[in-house]
Amino acid sequence: MTRSNTLSIALPALVVLALIIAPLGLDPFGYTLRILCLMLLFCAMGQAWNIVGGLANQISLGHAAYFGIGAYSSTILFGSLGVSPLIGVFVGMFLAAIFALVLSLPTLRLKGHYFALATLAAGEVARVVANSWTSLTGGPVGISVPYRPDAGFWALQFQTVLPNYYLFLGAMILVSLVFWLVQTSAFGYRLRAIKENETAAEVIGVNTYRVKLHASILSAVLTAMLGTLYAQFQFFFDPDTIFGVATISVKMALIVILGGAGRLYGPWVGAAVIIPLEEMANSYLGNSIAGLSQFAYGVLLIVVILLNPRGLISLFESLRDRLKGRQRA
Amino acid sequence: MSGHLLEVRNVTRRFGGLVANSDVTFTVSPGEIIGLIGPNGAGKTTLFNVLVGIYPPSSGEVIFDGKSIGGLKPHQIAKAGLTKTFQNVALFGETSVLDNVVTGGLVNRSLTDARRFAAECLERVGIGAIAQKKAGDLSFPERARVEVARALCTSPKLLLLDEVMAALTPAEMEEIIELVRSLRDEGMTFIVVEHHMKAVMKLCERLIVLNFGEMIADGTPEEIAGNRKVLDAYLGANFSTQGEGH
Ligand SMILES: Nc1ncnc2c1ncn2[C@@H]1O[C@H](COP(=O)(O)OP(=O)(O)OP(=O)(O)O)[C@@H](O)[C@H]1O
Ligand SMILES: [Mg+2]
Repeated sequence: MTRSNTLSIALPALVVLALIIAPLGLDPFGYTLRILCLMLLFCAMGQAWNIVGGLANQISLGHAAYFGIGAYSSTILFGSLGVSPLIGVFVGMFLAAIFALVLSLPTLRLKGHYFALATLAAGEVARVVANSWTSLTGGPVGISVPYRPDAGFWALQFQTVLPNYYLFLGAMILVSLVFWLVQTSAFGYRLRAIKENETAAEVIGVNTYRVKLHASILSAVLTAMLGTLYAQFQFFFDPDTIFGVATISVKMALIVILGGAGRLYGPWVGAAVIIPLEEMANSYLGNSIAGLSQFAYGVLLIVVILLNPRGLISLFESLRDRLKGRQRA
Repeated sequence: MSGHLLEVRNVTRRFGGLVANSDVTFTVSPGEIIGLIGPNGAGKTTLFNVLVGIYPPSSGEVIFDGKSIGGLKPHQIAKAGLTKTFQNVALFGETSVLDNVVTGGLVNRSLTDARRFAAECLERVGIGAIAQKKAGDLSFPERARVEVARALCTSPKLLLLDEVMAALTPAEMEEIIELVRSLRDEGMTFIVVEHHMKAVMKLCERLIVLNFGEMIADGTPEEIAGNRKVLDAYLGANFSTQGEGH
């Protein structure tokens, strides 16, 4: 037991160390570094989703709403009023919290598929609003973050990809830390109780509605923060990508479920598999078949849930246990 | 003040056209161990579910510890000191036995205190040895014990036990009876649903009998054993199970 404990601390520490030194050998403007950036960002997004989707099994398919709110808030404030994204990020987080609160009133009492469908619909509503409220968002043509490399950190923009990379690494570690704190606290016990049996949880004193609400808001706030970081990294986005079902919402869920829902390192494994795989698929197939990736995500999600709902981490663990058992025998 | 811990006043619970509990009225004093008996489908579990707030009563009133609790949420009722075990066992299956019980402790304790108290509860129920096992991997009798430990960890004033002795050996039943008695001596109050009549007669000083949702008797085990209505209810139930319809 002590051995697996040291392993579960040493291995992630090694991974973080590798992530810290990895970009030193890479082209600071290069393609590989950008892929690594996206991997870290989507890992962090998965981890934010994991708080409510993994620990409490509230399968949200609408997290793109929070992501987009974060991205649009900081970008609009910066573009039209010159407010630093360092401040805009908090506005986005606040608005996402409000949206989560309002959305929770009708949806948190829904179970299973109904919750998934309702959140999916909410994400779509956000997309439609962003597309049609042209005076605020710029509409379907998208929105650009004004380029001010001279403004330095205040504008949260950098000459190379490298500072972005470390920003994303920091965000990934921060969100993972928040997840770990939740997981190991009384809050985490309550979320797991909700996941396993909501009625029993209530009967032994868990205020299931409030616990789910708090988890949803925390998850939304973190997702919005990452939305701002994404906007500052991409410099341009439109409603259909930032509020995308396949590109954001389903991808967040898929990363977690593939890696291991409710597990600290689930999103780490999930993002490390999905993002490079997606890049490879895109470079082989090209962007000519645009709808294909959406279709592929849907299929992949269903296959993963059917084949191994506990994720790759549990696969790795049972393999390890089997090897151990063999050694002992 | 009446001095009653629980007052059930004219409680009726309907499911569509079916009346699962019909105008049930009784009181419970602190320190009692009451047996709730009746044929299959009589409405015992439903009454428990109404008392802990899983279903609100269709009509009638429930007063616990001086407060009206009819219509409150289960977590509010648990906080007030009333909880139950689940007849069909509703553990957190992917979680360890210890963590199942710890979750119960969180209703009125910090995590650290809940951990300490949970370990105590496990020992009392006699399952300290399986604390680290996954609840979903246990045998049925073990799961029933975890149910008891998890409920105990909420420190209830009134604990409703729904057939926790089903599938136990006589020696194991004896252990549970001893446990309930010693907890009562420490001030806890119990309502126990159990089909095993010997165990019920041994453990309870008072029995309440339900039949087709109606309360047909309330008295000492001796009184109940000689009650015509009760004998008819049990015989009638035996006949009607063959006919399937009521
Ligand atoms: N949620 C529900 N919806 C509809 N009918 C229900 C529901 N719960 C219970 N019933 C019905 O209410 C009646 C009483 O059931 P209940 O489970 O309370 O009986 P019981 O006395 O606990 O029986 P047993 O001894 O078999 O456990 C049954 O006819 C049952 O089918
Ligand atoms: Mg029952």
